[in-house]
Parts: sequence; C-alpha cells; structure tokens
Amino acid sequence: MDELDVPLMQMHVAGLKQQIDTPREKLSVTLPELIKWIEETMPKDPFLNDDLLRNNPWVETSKCVLL
Amino acid sequence: MACQGLEQGETVATLKKETEALKTKLETERAKLQDVELNTLAEKIEPVGQLNIKTRRILKGHGNKVLCVDWCTDKRRMVSSSQDGKVIVWDAYTTNKEHAVTMPCTWVMACAYAPSGCAIAAGGLDNKLSVYPLSLDKNENLASKRKPVAMHTNYVSHCTFTLSDMQVLTSSGDGTCALWDVESAQLLQSFHSHTADVLSLDMGPAETSNTFVSGGCDMKAKLWDMRSGQNVQSFETHQSDVNCVKFYPSGDAFATGSDDATCRFYDLRADREVAVFSKDSVIFGANSVDFSQSGRLLFAGYNDYTVNVWDVLKGTRLNILYGHENRISSLRMAPDGTSFCTASWDNTLRVWA
Repeated sequence: MDELDVPLMQMHVAGLKQQIDTPREKLSVTLPELIKWIEETMPKDPFLNDDLLRNNPWVETSKCVLL
Repeated sequence: MACQGLEQGETVATLKKETEALKTKLETERAKLQDVELNTLAEKIEPVGQLNIKTRRILKGHGNKVLCVDWCTDKRRMVSSSQDGKVIVWDAYTTNKEHAVTMPCTWVMACAYAPSGCAIAAGGLDNKLSVYPLSLDKNENLASKRKPVAMHTNYVSHCTFTLSDMQVLTSSGDGTCALWDVESAQLLQSFHSHTADVLSLDMGPAETSNTFVSGGCDMKAKLWDMRSGQNVQSFETHQSDVNCVKFYPSGDAFATGSDDATCRFYDLRADREVAVFSKDSVIFGANSVDFSQSGRLLFAGYNDYTVNVWDVLKGTRLNILYGHENRISSLRMAPDGTSFCTASWDNTLRVWA
C-alpha cells in the first residue's frame, strides 16, 4: 500500500519527525508515579478487597442461586 | 511521461529510506529513557491475594454470536450486539431484556451506550453507525427511530460516545477513525494514519479526554489528538493484528490485546512499551482487554474461550476463568468496578465478580 501512495508516505515522514521531537520522560520517573497511583487506588478496588465483597451488588447473599 | 514515472519512483524510494531512518532514530530516542524495568520496580510490592471470581449472571437471548457489549453509566444496564443483526438492551441484575432492535445488517460489531443512558449506537457491516434514542416505553418500535450518523467506506469495527451524547467516535475497516456530530450527522474530524483496518479504539479518561488510542491490522497502536486529527504517538511492537486497545484508568498508559497471543502495556509519558503479558501456554489471540478500577489487574478475553487475569505490575498471570463455550469477543469492566461482562460467540454474555 505504501509503495504507491506518495502523499500518505510524506504524511508518515512528517508524523515520524514530529514524534521524534515529542518530549518524553524517563521510565524512572513515570513508572514510580504509575505504581504510586495504583497503590493509592487499590484499597477501593472491588476485585482486590474481600471486605468490599459484602457490599458488591452482584454477589449473592444467600447460599442458593437460580441461574 | 517516462521521466515523470522515474521521478515518482525516486520519490517513493527516498521516502521509504527516510521513513526507515526516522523509525530507527525514534527507537534510539525512546531507548535512551529505558533506565528501569516495571517488574524490577514492582518486586517490592505485595502480591495480589487469592481472587475468587465467578460467573454471577448469564444473559441468554441472542440467537447468534455476540460481538460487542457496553455498560450504561447506571452500572446495571448494558447493550449488546450480535452477528444476526440484533441489538439488545439488558438489565443485567435481573437478566431481563429491556429493548431489542434489529439492525438492517448482520455482524453488528460495534455498540455503545450513551453517557446519559438515553440512547445507544450500533454499526457493522452496513458501513454506518446508527443512533437509537431509548425511551421508557417498552412497546416502542425502536427500528423506526433509527438515525444514521456515521458513514464509512468499509465496516464499522468499534464506536464510543465522547463525553456527551452529542458526539461519537468510530473506527472502521477502511483504515480511518472519525469523529461525528450526532445531531447533524456531520463529520467533525477524520483520523488517517493506519495502513490497514482499524479494529478498536478507546477514549482517554476525563483528564485526557481530547485524546484517544486506536489499534489495527497494521499491528500498530496509535495515540491521536482529537482536536487536530494528528497521530501524536505510534507503537509498533505487536507481531499481529491489534484487536483491542484500552486506556489505563489514570490516562498515562494503555494496554493492547493482539492476535499474536500477547497483551502489551505502553507508557504514554515515556513513549514506550513497558510490559508484555504472555505465556508459552497462551497461544490464542486476545480479543478484548480491560483494567480493574485501580489498574492493578488486567482482564483479557481470548479465542480459547477463557479470560486470563494478569497482574499489571508484576507481569504474572493470576487466574484463568472458564465458562464460555466459544471465543470471547468483548470484555468490559462495569463503571463502578464491581464486576465485568464478557460477550462470546457462544451466544451468551456473562457477568463476573
């Protein structure tokens, strides 16, 4: 597809040049922030906290279930 | 004429060389920032405890493969679409069907619930996306209220409403994504860069709501600026079609599921792939992925009928969920994070919690 379409290829080249110039941050900065974000929101995550399970509307409170 | 052709040929060859050189330079720039690995940093974090996830509801009613599902913001309703053209709105708590409409085409691959809960959108092989307003009247003829909004030159693979009911984003087999105004059915912005069918898209969460990410058959995942139509970042690490893309809840990262049997995690600020979720025993393509509310868990639905639960930080698989009797086509976390729903080619939907 690329071979025939010169305008599309020119657009790709322009896009790549822009991407190279995009400011990016080091992983040693972004990853710890990501981990911190997860650790802060984990206590409220219904899948990770069994005690929240009691309030989970999908979980049956009785022993028998009719599917 | 002949020398014009030669000029064209030279331009193509020089452009190709330039593209390759720029791609190498981009990789070098990206590699400069790789000073730590995610799983090394995650070693000191507590492992996730035992997960007890089971099927809580089975929604039966579709007569054919269910291709797509979307939750309503009220956390109990959902809309699903199937191969035979039927779109059904369910109350998932009671498993009752609230509305049903038959589309004028088969393979309705895309469906979405409007943020207000008052409309749904669906599209597929008809190359269009139609919006249906919902009302409380159960006996209404939904099909007569159909409003065609989007028009592509190939099938519509995915759709989503933006922050309001007024605009929809679509991705299509014609290789483009597009933003449409629902009221006037006008094309507001078109996004060109993929060189093959675009299979999936996802809008950023509220904080990054003018960007969206898309994935396609050209094995690339791309980040777009909705206002300018520019492809801001592009990631090409998958080895086969990217079936699904999903933003991370914080908006700084996204995950992809692909036919190469891996799911990958990309950091947008560092502009690179930071994790690959794969196992030698996982050989079937992943069709749909979604994160848990905190982003610690990644749920992925595969062609081998299972859902794999991955620990995003440590890169390990925590659980395999069995239940469906055919491939999983779509997987969506509920808006409040209490459950997730899977849609499958076995004609059913399952809600897990």
